[in-house]
Amino acid sequence: MKISILGAYATRFGELWNVSPRALAREAMENALKASKLKASQIDALFVGNMLSGILGNQANLGSLLVEELGVQIPAFRVEGACASGGLALHNAINSLRAGQYKTVMVLGIEKMTDHSPDEITSALMAAGSDEERMAGTTFPGVYALMAQAYMQKYKVTEEELASVSVKNHYHGTFNPKAQYQFPITVDGVMRSAKIADPLKLLDCSPISDGAAAVVITSKNITNKVLKQINIVASEVATDTLSLHNRKSFTSLSSVVEASKKAYKKAGIKASDVDVCEIHDCFSISEAIATEDLGFSGRGEGARDIAKGKRTLFKGDIICNPSGGLKSCGHPVGATGIKQIVEITEQLRGMAGKRQVKGAKIGLTHNVGGSGAVAVIHILKN
Amino acid sequence: MVTSSPVKLWRRQENVVSLIEKRGKILQWTMIRVPATSFMDQAPYPVAIVKMQDGKNMIGQLVDWQKQDLEIGREVVSVLRRLRTEGKEDVIYYHIKFKPI
Repeated sequence: MKISILGAYATRFGELWNVSPRALAREAMENALKASKLKASQIDALFVGNMLSGILGNQANLGSLLVEELGVQIPAFRVEGACASGGLALHNAINSLRAGQYKTVMVLGIEKMTDHSPDEITSALMAAGSDEERMAGTTFPGVYALMAQAYMQKYKVTEEELASVSVKNHYHGTFNPKAQYQFPITVDGVMRSAKIADPLKLLDCSPISDGAAAVVITSKNITNKVLKQINIVASEVATDTLSLHNRKSFTSLSSVVEASKKAYKKAGIKASDVDVCEIHDCFSISEAIATEDLGFSGRGEGARDIAKGKRTLFKGDIICNPSGGLKSCGHPVGATGIKQIVEITEQLRGMAGKRQVKGAKIGLTHNVGGSGAVAVIHILKN
Repeated sequence: MVTSSPVKLWRRQENVVSLIEKRGKILQWTMIRVPATSFMDQAPYPVAIVKMQDGKNMIGQLVDWQKQDLEIGREVVSVLRRLRTEGKEDVIYYHIKFKPI
């Protein structure tokens, strides 16, 4: 079954104190609908990706809440998988089309985080970890810091090489008018930023953000005269243990390896065929390891390849995070997986403006929940 | 957030006794400088993944440590400690932490 993307839209990401979650959702859905040249009455169902609304805002029942903003009473679902909630919502939406239950559906990713203090957010995000990790007093930066320590020791990688991931993503963010941070940073700036969990510093970490993104997908053969057709040719999910310490390796995420292998097979492509991708760089170490798990770089070479410019706009071979990634574009956790799809859709349509990857034909999104407990990979083709 | 039901703590602590005084070695460590709310007054503090003698890995906070203890392979033992800061009405929560030996 051919599944294609119609309209795709992301709001600005950042500290949006004057915008409510309802207003964020409405902006994303209205614009995705408008770009699709459809009316709300032509949408069969709504899938919402969100992690923290119940914990931070005491608001559950998000499907029913947000479908009100669409202005129609249709089946609506909230899907949760920590920071992979957006990607998982899309995967479930695709499955509903494959099952033939619905023909055209809206997928919305949304998160409102900046109303709360950093320690409240740190506590709330640890809901994605295990009881053992919470009782150890660790945090998400802490868990990824343990991976960074293991990675740096195993492959003799320096903190400066890891810092180059953030530098690259901020450079990309300067071309994205919707990014939370649209200014460049330097390796020295990363090195001098405050320590969060050794060896990770503030500028190794993605920020706390508000934002929403929406896509309309269909199994119908709808031709949109304005927009180039983009097909979702693979949507794969894999899981791993909730706790990092129960895994064999701290320098690779097996969920990513497995989900991407399945996705490449479904799409009939190799890793090297990918032109552009959006990576879940919640921390600098995450992108370094991801480029290895996805097969773009050899083991131990991910961070060094990024430092050499192999993933950088206008000069690399496989461009990673043209949007600026989680680091520079922002990371409203439930929205991230859908924003990645919006970015790749724009890239494959040749509508990405100053950050356009020339001639991009195949794009990939890599959305991870927890410390790798769940991974969602999508492959898109034009 | 509802985190401190006495029943929940009692249920979780049923197996804590069996975890006391077990030895292991530090496999990896980090220093947490920006903690969650209930650990705010302890920061900064080290957290380690410890390879226990039975071959299993555990994760826990280090206590009674000196700078030279923060290294891979350092031997530690599990001890019972007050875990975190509770509200005035909450039950005090005890759990395993690791002490260098």
